[in-house]
Amino acid sequence: MSTRTATEERAVVIGLEVHVQLETDTKIFCGCSTEPAPDEEPNTRTCPVCLGLPGALPVLNEGAVEAAVKIGKALEADIPERTTFHRKNYYYPDLPKNFQITQYDAPICADGELEVAVEDSRRTIGITRAHLEEDPGSLQHAGGSIDTADHTLVDYNRAGTPLVEIVTEPDFRSPAETRAFLAKLEEVLEYLGVFDATRDGSLRVDANVSLVPGEAVADDGSVPEDALAEANRTEVKNISSHKGAEKALAYEVTRQRNALRRGRAVDQETRHWDESRGITVSMRSKEAEKDYRYFREADLPPLEVSDWRESIPIPELPDARRERFRAEYGLDAESADKLTSRKAVADFYEDVADRFDPDLAATWVADNLLGELNYRDMAITDVADRLEEFARLIELVDAGELTTKNAEEVVLRGMLDDGDDPDTIVEREGLGTADTGEVEAAVADAIDDNPEAVADYHDGDEGAINFLVGQVMQRTGGSADPGEVNALLRERLDE
Amino acid sequence: MSDSPDERSEAAADAADTVDAAEAADATDVDVEDVDHVAGLARVDLEAAEREAFPEQFAEILEYFETLDEVPEFDREAELVNVMRPDEVREGLTQSEALRNAAETEDGYFRGPRVS
Repeated sequence: MSTRTATEERAVVIGLEVHVQLETDTKIFCGCSTEPAPDEEPNTRTCPVCLGLPGALPVLNEGAVEAAVKIGKALEADIPERTTFHRKNYYYPDLPKNFQITQYDAPICADGELEVAVEDSRRTIGITRAHLEEDPGSLQHAGGSIDTADHTLVDYNRAGTPLVEIVTEPDFRSPAETRAFLAKLEEVLEYLGVFDATRDGSLRVDANVSLVPGEAVADDGSVPEDALAEANRTEVKNISSHKGAEKALAYEVTRQRNALRRGRAVDQETRHWDESRGITVSMRSKEAEKDYRYFREADLPPLEVSDWRESIPIPELPDARRERFRAEYGLDAESADKLTSRKAVADFYEDVADRFDPDLAATWVADNLLGELNYRDMAITDVADRLEEFARLIELVDAGELTTKNAEEVVLRGMLDDGDDPDTIVEREGLGTADTGEVEAAVADAIDDNPEAVADYHDGDEGAINFLVGQVMQRTGGSADPGEVNALLRERLDE
Repeated sequence: MSDSPDERSEAAADAADTVDAAEAADATDVDVEDVDHVAGLARVDLEAAEREAFPEQFAEILEYFETLDEVPEFDREAELVNVMRPDEVREGLTQSEALRNAAETEDGYFRGPRVS
């Protein structure tokens, strides 16, 4: 029993390598566009540089460097005095040059951190480094699967797209922590305006996973290097989302645990996450580090941009904004969370909260708008050009010109389903709040038509007033305010 | 790829070893295993005769590099730094221009042998 327990008590150690596609207009070393045209043909966004034609010279995209500096700043990393590019040599047709331009021993960002909330605790994940590199092209294994295809089709439209690879310390102690980290990282990158999560393949993750004896973990949760070196680790590739990371790593941790429990060793190897089957599979071993024969890219002079850290501004980041929203607008934690996880939502909320009642604005943006968007599988970015229309809807409610019920059930839904603006819907459906004369007339009618309810009310039956309110609402087509109707009815009946 | 400092210093040490070996200028320092390894990295299949001939040829090539040691030192020109271009789209090649030198194409793609 005791030995069995000992072998089962193993701590999970995970480190991540996150490839992030930067939102620049052009590729990292040439002026080709990074924006795929709708239904574009292969090899229509290329030039001599990204095709690796002889004599073509790469020139670094300033926008990519700015984006990397912003990321470094947001991750509280250093931007070293001097940073350089290297060639990573490998022979595979996704890169036409037979090498990838990347960074090696002098990356643009070093030594950062990112704080993440995992359930109720906060964890600080160390960032070892972040470096710039070019994305390869895309391959199609034609006429079968990767193993059975008889030839390969190559498209270099994606080749040269700027990437930043962010490498973490082995600080994760569970798959759930990696998911929380990646979600937070996406949030931060989106705030910086350097990343578009909706773009296909914009986030790609490799994870190093090992299990160490539970007693090797120090009191502060850190794992000493010798314990890490002793445990065999696997590198899991092909993870493409934060949800995928949690699934892939949960699978891999269980696989390693089962192997150890059965007295087998974990092979040090690279494994491929097969999303559709929900398993990791062993990949044939590829080159070792030294086989990449890294050497300095002589066509790219060094960068000295450490002073950009000061000169390039970055926006307020999600954590800071969440705290400010709570303090400034008196929001509860949940609303502040919902309203700050996407920058577009936070910007919109702030705009309407400054113009109308902040509580009303919070309910409308966090609950009604996001709820209805979510129900339709839409995001705020899908209605980015219509935000003024939603602000107008909130204005109508705030000014009492539209009842909450009609605003929610008729106008908001109509806006999302039919694409109409709020004033058009209000007019078409006759939803404008009833004016005082109309309400008074309806109250008088309701009293005249329902002598029994009136008598019940005078006998002290409180239910009767609700019946009468209902009658008035019916007569005004739901456009009256129930509270006001109630007060007006009592006034008339008590006269 | 993660580049742990350990792996990096190891790679640097290996590189230094290679230089030392070349400096020894002993043709027998390149053996058939080295040739096979390099051929594997380059995805090249060698004929038996080539495997036998290449160690000596490799060693000869490495010897040429020693000549560089005899080049006298000179003052380097000031090194360029921060050469960048603005993030502005420039016209590239059309699909047919891009594919013009390709040995084989298919539906706008470069076509190559099966890879794994």
